[in-house]
Amino acid sequence: MSTKPDSIYRSLDRKASAIIEFTLRQYRTKKSTWVVLGVGFTALSLIFLIYIDVMASEFESIDNDGDSTDYDNDGYPRGQEIRLGTDPWDGESHPGLFDPPIEPDPKSMYINEDGFDWDVAVRIGEQSTGYDDDGDCMDSNKTASQKDTNDNGIPCDIIVEYYRMSDGELYVNIEADSGVDEDPDEDAYSREAIHLAFVLSIGKLGFVLLLGIFLPLFMATGLIRDEMNSGTMHFMLAKPIARSEVFLYRTLGYLGIVWPYVIVLGILGAVVSGFAGSGDSFFRFADLGVWLAIIFATMMATLVYGMLFNALGVLWKYGIILAIPFAAWELGMALLSMGAPDATLLRFSIIGWALMIIDAAAMLVWPNLDLFIVMGNWGGGGGSNWNFDTSLEGSGPLGFFSSKPGLGLSAFTAMIVSTLVLLFQAAIFWFIGGALFKSKEIQ
Amino acid sequence: MIPDFDQQGKAQTKEWVPEVSAPAILLENVSKSYGRIFALSNITLALNGGVTGVLGMNGAGKSTLFNLLMGKLKVSQGSVKLFGTDPWKNPAPYARVGFVPEHEKMYDWMTGHEFVSTFARLNGLTRDEAKSEANRVLEFVSLSDVAHKKIGQYSKGMRQRVKIAHALVNDPELIILDEPLQGCDPLARTTIMNVIRELGRMGRTVLVSSHILQEIERITEQIIILHQGRLLALGNLHSIRERLDKIPHRISIQTEDPKALAKDVIDIDEVFGISFPDGENLSIQTHNLGAIHSRLPQIIVENNHKVKTIDNPDDDLASILGYLTSGGGI
Repeated sequence: MSTKPDSIYRSLDRKASAIIEFTLRQYRTKKSTWVVLGVGFTALSLIFLIYIDVMASEFESIDNDGDSTDYDNDGYPRGQEIRLGTDPWDGESHPGLFDPPIEPDPKSMYINEDGFDWDVAVRIGEQSTGYDDDGDCMDSNKTASQKDTNDNGIPCDIIVEYYRMSDGELYVNIEADSGVDEDPDEDAYSREAIHLAFVLSIGKLGFVLLLGIFLPLFMATGLIRDEMNSGTMHFMLAKPIARSEVFLYRTLGYLGIVWPYVIVLGILGAVVSGFAGSGDSFFRFADLGVWLAIIFATMMATLVYGMLFNALGVLWKYGIILAIPFAAWELGMALLSMGAPDATLLRFSIIGWALMIIDAAAMLVWPNLDLFIVMGNWGGGGGSNWNFDTSLEGSGPLGFFSSKPGLGLSAFTAMIVSTLVLLFQAAIFWFIGGALFKSKEIQ
Repeated sequence: MIPDFDQQGKAQTKEWVPEVSAPAILLENVSKSYGRIFALSNITLALNGGVTGVLGMNGAGKSTLFNLLMGKLKVSQGSVKLFGTDPWKNPAPYARVGFVPEHEKMYDWMTGHEFVSTFARLNGLTRDEAKSEANRVLEFVSLSDVAHKKIGQYSKGMRQRVKIAHALVNDPELIILDEPLQGCDPLARTTIMNVIRELGRMGRTVLVSSHILQEIERITEQIIILHQGRLLALGNLHSIRERLDKIPHRISIQTEDPKALAKDVIDIDEVFGISFPDGENLSIQTHNLGAIHSRLPQIIVENNHKVKTIDNPDDDLASILGYLTSGGGI
């Protein structure tokens, strides 16, 4: 051909698009592609279905402070007696003896009657909030010090204190006057907590871990290796193209099928949890930010693992065996990141950085997440009379799946730093993979 | 396993300029060994223009030689240059090289046209240029009518031809074909041979390998003989043959009456021995194969012998190799 390429870079471009296009078409003809994508879709769909089922069921309301109970068998629940000033422990003292007599309230009125009604901002220092809806703190029989058990000079309130620990992260603590907000609505809290826990857990384990590792494991390991085994690599290498270019473009072709797949599944997750999730609104728009981060983190994970596993495939005929220890290590790191998000070991993983993106986004989108977890663990404190575990259902899993981004950076900076680290890792694995490929003799 | 950081192999960011005076292929003292086994030893060779046949038995080192030229393997010693550039270090010369690998596996799910045009884009052609280029080369190998069928449905000969078409994209100056005739039907064989001869006439440097002498003979006279990794002979097939005439040859003739034929044949001066392996066969020994072959038909026709086959059991690669390696030399 007499026509010369317009410029060297434009011809690089043409080579790239040719190989990417070729790789995409090649995936389409392979049965294994459809099996892997199908299994991933089915697995996530099942989890979505379980989630929808959980969200549709009702969480049993518990009377945390016991004031729906009629302890003295006079027909009046404790809460009503306290409100009207009769003795809840004395069957001879009840509002029925008033003139005119007052009818007993239904017990259900005294379940979940003193819920969370807080209004705090995320800032360092103590804030006073909360309101004693049922009046068992403001009870006129109580002394001033009984009304102010948290000792801040304000009767019947709750102290919310944000403070920064030596690791640079923000923590929150609750100290309540006894009897304030002690009977929260379990259904509302648990539904919300389980929804949030679901979004975080499926994002971290379902998307970043499962899709992020298994898609590249089955789809990227053979990108170069399969062609070398079958001899078809000769066609590509007989052209004026550097091997590290082939390595890169093949990986990009793999991303061309994996990224849209991840995006579609992420949108599916966002739609399902947006409609089925807790809350009064028709659709939970705020969660979209977290879903965006989940999709982005998974894309980054599939990029880095893709480069890594492709390089392992070049390194050894049975590269998939080399990839398995990496996958196991990353699984361990994923669990570690939930328990100890600032562990130094995490910096030597890929998934640690990817999960940081999700944690940072959660911090941005749900600024009160920490407080929400602490609130659930506290669970109202059970009033002054009860001494058992009062934490609300859902706060445990939510506490487990949410973690601070680590590094003590702001959410936005953490996101940028982890993205840059992941890109750097991808570049390193490209370099290693390309160098291995270049020095490989092909029969 | 350790990356070869000495190798440059970078993306081509500036235009590669071939050395003007460099031959298409230049090998200097090239050896390739796997552990203590030498696949090629001490080959020195320069080729520029014309069709050259690379002859050798299976395992003689033909594919190793080609893989060295195509930058798939790294030389153990010596240097390989394509247009003055080491192909292991720099893939740029492949802009001017077409390669037909011997591997049978192809992308069966592509059509011939898709296959050729996709890989043509790796030469830096645009999508449209690649398409018209694919049309051109598929026409050249007479595959236009099946260009839009899946390669999976192609016969062996069509597959070989589509591989050749893929190599001819961008009009390369050097074309390397590894066993292009293997497994082809006679029609495809003829087409492929014509294509190779045509390329030679167009002034391209063509390197074609085979383990069958007759195939190469029909394509070219310039040959290289490889044997056990060594370059045994390089030159014109005829001159090699003439030298072979100096050594005894056998001609086997299958006929109804070997004894009657023997009586007529014994008169030819060049015949120095006759034997009868069995009742139907006659074996003639001679130093001058050419003379016998020119006289034999006349004798057969004149005396009305009924001959079924005439065979030169020695006139194959194995016997040439046997002669060359037994100290004959050229």
